[in-house]
Amino acid sequence: MMKEHPPHAKPSEVRQSPGKSFLYALPMMLLTLMMLSGGKIPADPQRLFVLAVTYLFFNVLFFLMIHTGKTDRYRATAFITYAILFIVSFISHMFEARGSMSLSQEKIILCEVPFCHLVIPMTLIPAAFTKTIIFPGSITGGFASIASMFVIWIGASLSMGRGWCSWGCFFGGLDDAFSRILKKPLIRKIDPRWNYLPWAVLLAVVLTAAAFLSPTYCEWLCPFKTVTEFQAVTSFKILVQTIIFVSLFIALVIVLPLLTKRRIQCSLFCPFGAMQGLTNRINAFDVRIDPDSCINCKRCMTACPTFSVTEESIRTGRPLMSCMKCGTCVDVCPKGAASFHVRGTPVAVNRNIKRLLFLYAAFLFLAIFSGGTIQDGLSRIIRLITTGSMI
Amino acid sequence: MQGFFLGLSSGAVCAAYCAPVLVPYLLGEGRSVLQNFSALLQFLLGRLLGYLAFAVFAWGIHASLPQDIAHRNLLIGAAYVLLAGLLIFYSFFKAGRACPSAGGQEIDHRLCDSRSSLFLLSMGLATGLNFCPPFLLAVVTAADQASLLQSLLFFLTFFLGTSVFLIPAPFLGLLRGFSPLHLIGKMAAGLIGAYYLFLGTTMLAGGLYR
Ligand code: SF4
Ligand code: SF4
Repeated sequence: MMKEHPPHAKPSEVRQSPGKSFLYALPMMLLTLMMLSGGKIPADPQRLFVLAVTYLFFNVLFFLMIHTGKTDRYRATAFITYAILFIVSFISHMFEARGSMSLSQEKIILCEVPFCHLVIPMTLIPAAFTKTIIFPGSITGGFASIASMFVIWIGASLSMGRGWCSWGCFFGGLDDAFSRILKKPLIRKIDPRWNYLPWAVLLAVVLTAAAFLSPTYCEWLCPFKTVTEFQAVTSFKILVQTIIFVSLFIALVIVLPLLTKRRIQCSLFCPFGAMQGLTNRINAFDVRIDPDSCINCKRCMTACPTFSVTEESIRTGRPLMSCMKCGTCVDVCPKGAASFHVRGTPVAVNRNIKRLLFLYAAFLFLAIFSGGTIQDGLSRIIRLITTGSMI
Repeated sequence: MQGFFLGLSSGAVCAAYCAPVLVPYLLGEGRSVLQNFSALLQFLLGRLLGYLAFAVFAWGIHASLPQDIAHRNLLIGAAYVLLAGLLIFYSFFKAGRACPSAGGQEIDHRLCDSRSSLFLLSMGLATGLNFCPPFLLAVVTAADQASLLQSLLFFLTFFLGTSVFLIPAPFLGLLRGFSPLHLIGKMAAGLIGAYYLFLGTTMLAGGLYR
């Protein structure tokens, strides 16, 4: 039942004047300038142009986040752009290095496969027991090495927990994008038991990877291989694997997010995401609902793209462990009851400061982590326009 | 003792091979630690039967089978298909249908118990025949034994050595208070079953059409 709005609770005032917003955004402008340029301004005009566009892109978005008090729409703009340009940049790299998106046996034997964070859960048990990494990638050198990905993952987990899935993951922007296309969902009822599927996928891939010492999720299920790299079809087994991952891409990343307006791949399938939910428990930031201001309108529940707000969580004031800290619930709440929060502090106090602290951690991570890729992707597009080729 | 030490030294690998079958089952059932120990014993009994059957075989053929790829594929393929069938059946058909233990339906309850014992025995038997690398090593060593009794003893001690590593499994029962784990275990059993099904059928096909 809808509760009467209590007299003492007022919608949180997160909008800021342009001057104040500029001041709050100033440290971000300086930090991103340093990180994106690496301390030196490029002499090549095209590189300078790309750097300037990337820099402006991030800082305008951050300024708007502070000025309007809205998080999700600006986050999504950066996050989706990142996913698209990641694909452009990655595919160009693959064509440059090996002439196609498909992986040959030779590259696998030579351990030259780029490592991605989705493999992490499968590597942990075999690494502990056999002291080997069951992935044909390079440990330190080369493009996307295993060590660099582990360091990035640990940094992201400490700074934002499962916020990684809305602010860091280079694949997440894809189902995020498709979930925004329709105005209203065509499928509304989804059995809540599906929420446990990512845990089952995690359990299945961890156990089979430990038994067969091979990254079973990458081989059989990862939908994102469709838009990055895949094994050349040289056997019946690889053909079946290809059919499976392409079908999963179409279903989980395109069709279902489109029809449900939810991030189906990320919230109902990805085993890494399930594991990453655990890091929400050790992370300083979370999202909370203040029961005193909440009028139980359930807008947050309807809008959450990851099924992380339930009736129970509105009652207890805590979204589920699967919360990706995207900010949608915070934006749609008419009473400012949902807010970003720092653990160990009272929920209804200093919401603006807590939001700003979280945004600095998450947005800075996104800008630094994606900056290089976005610049490379943009350069490739300019090259495509000017020369007719991306490589 | 050679078998026991071989089992002990390679037991972690054996445990890794058994875990995809055993862990989803134990989680899915959501029983207590004690009940899980009894389930583990039934599973191990099945595995022992598999091992002993193979001991007779290994002794009889003097290790020619593991070297014959086509026959080996047929056997492992059949074991995988059996495992897949059991896991998928468990995931879909046993899901959500609790044993009617309450309300004095004693006969039904016993029927359920004997069905789950048969199920565990079959899963143990199929994993016992699943030719993991340590098992292959054991087959080759057992084939060198002079008598059938020695071969049987070798496999028995090997079995005991490898089983040590499965002792922690029943402690999954400590998590049974977290009810979603039952569903997660059953879903995972279905996924792993599908994986085994593909492995099994391709191995069978490879063995048949070489
Ligand atoms: S949107 Fe959610 S948190 Fe905000 S008032 Fe409605 S039910 Fe409460
Ligand atoms: S609970 Fe809120 S912040 Fe978390 S995923 Fe759902 S909408 Fe996003």
